[in-house]
Amino acid sequence: MNKKREIIILTIMCFALSIAIAVQIKTVKNNGTTIGSTQSESNLKAQVLKMKEKYEKEYEWLEELTNELETVRQNVSSHNDGLKELEDKIKKDNLLLGNSEVKGQGAIITLNDGKADFNLLDIDQDPLIHAENVLQVINELRNAGAESISINDERVTNKTAISCDGNVIVVNGSKIGTPITISAIGSSARLATLDRTGGTLDIIFRKAGKIAEFKKVNTVELPKYSGVYSYKYARNID
Amino acid sequence: MKKGKYVMIVTISIVCFLLMMVIFMQFKVTQKSKEINIDTMQEAELRQQLANWKNKYEETKKKREEVSNTLETYKEESSSDSKTQEALEKELSTLEQALGKTDVEGEGIIINLREKKENELGDDESITPIFANDLIYIVNSLKDAGAEAISINNERIIGITDIVDIGEYVNIKINSNYIRTNEFEIKAIGNSSYLESSIFGKGGYAEQLEISGIKATVQKSNKIRINKYTGEINFKYVEEVN
Repeated sequence: MNKKREIIILTIMCFALSIAIAVQIKTVKNNGTTIGSTQSESNLKAQVLKMKEKYEKEYEWLEELTNELETVRQNVSSHNDGLKELEDKIKKDNLLLGNSEVKGQGAIITLNDGKADFNLLDIDQDPLIHAENVLQVINELRNAGAESISINDERVTNKTAISCDGNVIVVNGSKIGTPITISAIGSSARLATLDRTGGTLDIIFRKAGKIAEFKKVNTVELPKYSGVYSYKYARNID
Repeated sequence: MKKGKYVMIVTISIVCFLLMMVIFMQFKVTQKSKEINIDTMQEAELRQQLANWKNKYEETKKKREEVSNTLETYKEESSSDSKTQEALEKELSTLEQALGKTDVEGEGIIINLREKKENELGDDESITPIFANDLIYIVNSLKDAGAEAISINNERIIGITDIVDIGEYVNIKINSNYIRTNEFEIKAIGNSSYLESSIFGKGGYAEQLEISGIKATVQKSNKIRINKYTGEINFKYVEEVN
C-alpha cells in the first residue's frame, strides 16, 4: 500500500523534472540564435569604430592640406593685384561659411532643464529643453543680427539641422547634452533684446519653467564647422 | 518498513533539489535572454551610426581629393598667372555656391502651403494662418534630410537667414524682405525621396499642418531651379582667430 504511493509520488516527480529539463533545453537552444546576433553586434561595433577612425584620419589629412592650400594660395597670388583680390574673396567666403575659428563681441545663452513643480499644476509647464526651442532661439538670434553662432562645440552653418533623438538634441549629427551653451557673435546690445522682459527667453523658456541665462560678453570664441560643404544634387548654373 | 520510508525521503529530497536547480538555471537563462533583447535594439542604432560615419567619411574624402587637386594646380602652374586665376575662380565659385550666392539646379521637391478653404476643413479643424515657426520647422527638417539649397517664395535660405512674424497675422519677413501673402512655395534641392518623407512621411510636419487647417502639397522633380541670394553678406563683429 505504502509502496504504491511511493511509486506514484516518484513518478510525478520524475515527470515534472523531465518537463523542466525539456523546457530548459529548448530555452538554451533558442538562446543559441541570439548569441549569434551578439556576435554580429560586436562585429558591428568594431566596424563603427573602424569607420570613425577612418573618418578622423581623413579629416586630419584634409585639415593639413587646407592649411597648406592657404599658404600656397597666398604665395601664388601675392605678386598680382587681380589674383590678390580673388584670394581675399576666398578668405572672406571661408570666414562667412564658418570654415575657421572666430571671435568677437556677443552673447552667451545657457539653457537647462527646469524642475517640474507639481504644486502649480500649470498647464503651460514644460521644463525640458526641446530641439524646437533651440531652433527658435537660433532664429531669434539671427533676427537680432547674430553673425556667427555655435551650440556647445558645434558651429551653426546654413547646412545645420537641429533635431532630437529620443531625449537628446542633435546638432550637425552630434549629440548635445544639457546644459546647452549657445554662443553668438554680433552687437551684444542688439542680442540682449532676447533677454528683455517678455522677450524670447521669457516666452519660450522661463514661462514654461525652463532655465535660461543670458550674458553679454566682450569676446566669445566659436569653433569652426566640423563638417564639409559638398554637393551631390545641386549644380551651379551661371 | 522504516528503511523504505528513508529511501523515499532521500529520493524525494534529491529530486526536489534537482528540480530547484533546474528552475534556477531557467531563471538565469531567461534573464540573459532579456539582456540580449536590449542589445539587439542597440543593433539598429549601431547600423545607423555606421551609416553616419561612412557618409561623413565619404564627404570628407571627396573634399580632401578636391583640395589635393587645387593644391597641385597652384604648385604646378605657379609660373602662369592665367592658370592660377582659373584655379582661384574655381575655388571661389564652389564657396559662393555653398554661401547661396549662385543660381543652382537639380533634383528636388516643391512644397506648396496655403490656408484651407471653408469646405476643406475636417472635424475639429479651423482656418489658421501659416506662421514663421511653421516655415522654420519645415526648413530644419529639409536640412536634416540633406537639402543642398532651399528657397521660400524665391527668397534663398542662407546661413544668416531669419524668418519672423511681423504683424499679428499674414506678414512674414525672410532675409529682411516682407512676404505679403499667406501662400508659400518652398523649393529644395536634394534626394527627392528623402526630402519628401522628411515632411510628408509618417509623423512628419505635414500631419501637424493638416490639423492646423493648412493644406500642404508636394511635387517631386528632376530639375528644380533655385535662385541665388542677391544681398551682400558682410560681417562687422566676427574676426578670425589666428
